[in-house]
Amino acid sequence: MASRRLNTELRVVGAEFVKTMRIWFSYPIMIAFWAIFPLLWVLPYVFQGKALVGSGSSEAFRQLTGSGNYLAFVLIGAMISTFVFSALWGVGNSLREETYWGTMEYIIASPTHPLVILIGKTLAEWTWSSVMVLFQALIIALFFGVHFTLAKILPVLLLVVLLMIGFYGFAIAFAGFTLLIKEVHGWVHTLEWVFFLFSPIRYPVEVNPITALVSNLIPLTWALVAIRGIMLLNKTEVNLYQTVVILAGMDVILLVAGYFLFVYLEKKTRRDGTVGMH
Amino acid sequence: MANRLTGELIKRLRHYAAAVWAENIKEWKLELTYKADFARGLIDPVVYLLPYLLYGVALVGGRQSENLLRLVGTSDIITFITLGYLFIGFLNMALWAMGFSLRKEQFYGTLESVFAAPVPRWVFTMGMSMHSILHQLLMIAVQIGFILLVFSLKVNLVGLLPTLLVIGLMLVALYGIGMFMASFTLIFKQGWLVSEALSGMMMILTPIAYPLAVLPVFMQKLARFVPTTYGILTARHFLMGERIDFTLRDAFARLSLLSLLWVGFGLVVFMLIDRWTRRSGTLSHY
Repeated sequence: MASRRLNTELRVVGAEFVKTMRIWFSYPIMIAFWAIFPLLWVLPYVFQGKALVGSGSSEAFRQLTGSGNYLAFVLIGAMISTFVFSALWGVGNSLREETYWGTMEYIIASPTHPLVILIGKTLAEWTWSSVMVLFQALIIALFFGVHFTLAKILPVLLLVVLLMIGFYGFAIAFAGFTLLIKEVHGWVHTLEWVFFLFSPIRYPVEVNPITALVSNLIPLTWALVAIRGIMLLNKTEVNLYQTVVILAGMDVILLVAGYFLFVYLEKKTRRDGTVGMH
Repeated sequence: MANRLTGELIKRLRHYAAAVWAENIKEWKLELTYKADFARGLIDPVVYLLPYLLYGVALVGGRQSENLLRLVGTSDIITFITLGYLFIGFLNMALWAMGFSLRKEQFYGTLESVFAAPVPRWVFTMGMSMHSILHQLLMIAVQIGFILLVFSLKVNLVGLLPTLLVIGLMLVALYGIGMFMASFTLIFKQGWLVSEALSGMMMILTPIAYPLAVLPVFMQKLARFVPTTYGILTARHFLMGERIDFTLRDAFARLSLLSLLWVGFGLVVFMLIDRWTRRSGTLSHY
């Protein structure tokens, strides 16, 4: 009985994965957009660096991060944050999109729990953002001289997986909030800017004591510091071990909290009878 | 006869002005209905600006940059970057707020009613622009308040008046860009991709946190067609003495020309697309 149910749910996850992919591939221009634009968005930082420092390396930056190469710093930040922001928009905002398409009521009324649908969406989002990041890595390697070797890629992949497991927990909780408060577009934007401010995506947060302190609570900070350490400073496995333990701990907290929050908010929306509201 | 015609014209202009004002008030009422979202929108520009400032501080290890001094004659990176980002808010306003005004009406289900009203379409978009400009000024006030509180800005207050003149001219040109974007949403409906692409490119070309000289030559040439380039460079020249490689007369002349070109271009494109959408019957499509 339990295995039959598991099979059915796996089929639903598969069907949702295929459906989401089909929707994306209906807009081929989106592939080109997301592969290129996250890198274009960091160009102002590159020119800003050139204007303020006058060369490709900064001594003050080296003192803060261990590497003076600010170009590589912002490019790695852009690449890794693609995963995070695609989860925020793609998973966190996904149930809101179903409302726009007019299919939300069908999902809620179907005999499958909406969490199973969200797992399908999460897998699709993971595949999509991985392909986009692969494109970005190719562009970075070809045009910006940042090198990726197999010895570096494997630990980086491990860190990205650990980062995203926890973040998908957060995104699932956020999807629950969209059921409750409906219009979250502006809030997602604010959250995006909060991540830009309090995690070292585009600048070293150590430059300010407040940002440095708050950033410790965000898994992205730990992941980015370790990934840059591996890619730019060839740091040893000992540092990696410590980050892996911290990220795994954060994953457990975020996944459990995300699950319970989603279940609670979904039940509340059903009880209040506001599922169909816009 | 002439008197009657003038009277008619004044009456019509007053009628249009009332429509512009009504549109502006309607937008404020809608925004203030969602108070938490409105407050969030005021904090957003500060959160948006800070990473650029902190990145600058991390690069030079303080507030002064020797290289910037050599390039533009001023070394204060906080004032330089803040002024750049204050003015770029107007560009975002044109591309997002004005450009998406029609799309928003479509979501509200009122686009057809707006289009059937006895005023030209440009009057409607002007009302939207008026609201966007006032909203943008409010956001700038919050941004300046925060930066003054945390960092302090060193600006030449005598330069405020000519700066306002430059901003006025820049806004005319941005209105043209907004019209152009609004017409795109009539065809593509989900026009955010065009806005995103255009704003991404303009953010690179406009010398917000760097002088034009650091851009590759082809980008420097392209930047001359963007109104915010002259807006930001001239405003920073007046307010903090940034060295510019054109005369003030040139700046005003080029900005005026760009305003004429963008408004003309925006209006013509809007008119053509509006006519095409009506003829093809796709106005109400999503």
